[in-house]
Amino acid sequence: MAPRKSERIMNLAICLLMARRFLDKNHIREVVEGYAGLSDAAFERTFERDKDDLRAMGVPVETGSNSSLFPDDIGYRIRRQDFELPPIDFTAAEATALGLASQVWGTATLAEQTVSALAKLRAAGIDPDASRLPGVSPSIGAKEPAFEPLWQATMTRTVVGFGYRGVRREVEPWVLTYRRGSWYLAGFDRTRGAARLFKLARLEDAPRTIGKPGAYELPENMDLTELTRPLEPAPAAAEAVVAIRGDKAPDLRRRGLPVDDAAPLPPGFAAWRVPYTSDREFVTEVCGYGPAVLVLEPAALRRQVIGRLAAVAR
Amino acid sequence: MSTSLDQVSRLLALVPYLQAHPDADLAATAQAFGVTPRRLLADLEVLWFVGLPGGMPGDLIDIDMDAVQEQGRISLSNADYLSRPMRFTIEEVTSLIVALRAVREVTGGAAGEAVDSALAKLSKVAGAQESKRVGFAVATSESAVRERLAAAIAARRAVRLSYDGFTRAETTTPVVEPHRLSVRDGYVYLEGWSRDRDAWRTFRLDRIASVDPAEGGVADRGEPPPFDGGWLEVRPEAALVTLTVTDRAHWISEYYPVRSVERFRRGWRVQLLVADPAWLRSLLLRLGPEVRAVDPPEAAESARAAASEALELYAELLGSGSVSLAP
Repeated sequence: MAPRKSERIMNLAICLLMARRFLDKNHIREVVEGYAGLSDAAFERTFERDKDDLRAMGVPVETGSNSSLFPDDIGYRIRRQDFELPPIDFTAAEATALGLASQVWGTATLAEQTVSALAKLRAAGIDPDASRLPGVSPSIGAKEPAFEPLWQATMTRTVVGFGYRGVRREVEPWVLTYRRGSWYLAGFDRTRGAARLFKLARLEDAPRTIGKPGAYELPENMDLTELTRPLEPAPAAAEAVVAIRGDKAPDLRRRGLPVDDAAPLPPGFAAWRVPYTSDREFVTEVCGYGPAVLVLEPAALRRQVIGRLAAVAR
Repeated sequence: MSTSLDQVSRLLALVPYLQAHPDADLAATAQAFGVTPRRLLADLEVLWFVGLPGGMPGDLIDIDMDAVQEQGRISLSNADYLSRPMRFTIEEVTSLIVALRAVREVTGGAAGEAVDSALAKLSKVAGAQESKRVGFAVATSESAVRERLAAAIAARRAVRLSYDGFTRAETTTPVVEPHRLSVRDGYVYLEGWSRDRDAWRTFRLDRIASVDPAEGGVADRGEPPPFDGGWLEVRPEAALVTLTVTDRAHWISEYYPVRSVERFRRGWRVQLLVADPAWLRSLLLRLGPEVRAVDPPEAAESARAAASEALELYAELLGSGSVSLAP
């Protein structure tokens, strides 16, 4: 660590924050501790890097001119209203919820970012309650090694490159989304020229960034529901009538409706009308229930089930 | 981010923090910022040289270093111009918003409403566009089930669940002493003491159809066992079963925790640890003709019996004319 560097950047930030007008470089060089004693070239280099560093941590360093007559006289400042956390207030109950948030992330970088957000709230005089609440234990994990680099790239709008299904891709990350314990990235696949969804666990190598942050805009009216439709079960295409024994096969009963006027069934069975998507998946599912579920119709489906059961009974 | 950047980001929050918390405790402050006390001391040493441009003695931030060294208390002054923290970065506010959405999944009643209102305030600060950058959805129940469970946990009252069990594929109605709602791996769970089983059990909320009050309260039973084993945990009674399957059944090696997978005669040989015979029976029935061999052979007996029973029921149905044989 370089304490001198931290001091200098802090002093620069304060100097720009206190400025009423755009300050030119020469003035900054004179008043900010840490620039004195540098050669012209060293000062130029150091000042440019410090400015980039401030912007990288989110400090809005503005560039402009004080004079419309001499627009080339460039100076710098930080506008207080762009810099400071806007007024925000939380009730005690809300502060308790915020305190719980610090325990949610199971991945180091995200946990740090949450802690850093909560530290800012504390600095604004809000006190998130850090004590553990009994009765709740929320946790979000991200086992995928690609998660943290893609999180960073998504937040900063940085293009990434990675291999996926045997193809090298260049992707503009739009949205990361978490479904049933897995992370997905929705974005614009430049290689394919279309919006695509990627499962993070299936990335073939570590994503690497391409170019600078802020390289693209997210589409207006971006519809996350539309983008993640492939993750939802396909709509039902057909219907079967099945006989279900008693309390068995709750998954089928949940999506089905009871049938009243069924023909006589074995004792303990009731008839249900159940929608399904694909023959193959439904046959497999029904077979899994063994003697607890019988297909009544369609007959073709029933024959497939009987055929597969016969293979097991042999 | 380099260490200097991390440090400057922290300092920009630390200065207003110390002004909002006069005479702050060193250890508590370090904890609030997620750093060691030693790192915090290094931060204070940097601030010692920071202040208004010009660098005159009166321009610098004042810190009572003696009080820090001797009593572990921090007093900082002469920094009115840095009395508010910087805005959230998008990473910070998004990580906080997503974490709160997970908190929302396990809270009910007034606590749940507080999470909603906190989320609304943060989303406003983040900006509509920015707060859409991360999606978060977990498998859970309708909110009424969560509300009832949260209320029962708070009141320490037992509940009767209507639970659609997965492995055994049947609905049961266990009486449970509810302990905690958890979010793990994309699902919301109830951890509780099952009176029927006389043991800790976890129940997926998306499989709880209803929650009703039951007799009695919640006894003190200590902490439930660690969650994360899930059904990956190797139970002592688990048996090693080897399936020889066709290519079409290769998915099982991605879907279930397997001991080993190897190529075998244009198919696969997969070793599974089976803790629950009902699970293996269901798997074999689903795989049907895709299973070529099971070792030990008696592990397949229960599936074979189930398939035979089903076939007899079909024969009965078809024989009785309830179901026509015509296509």
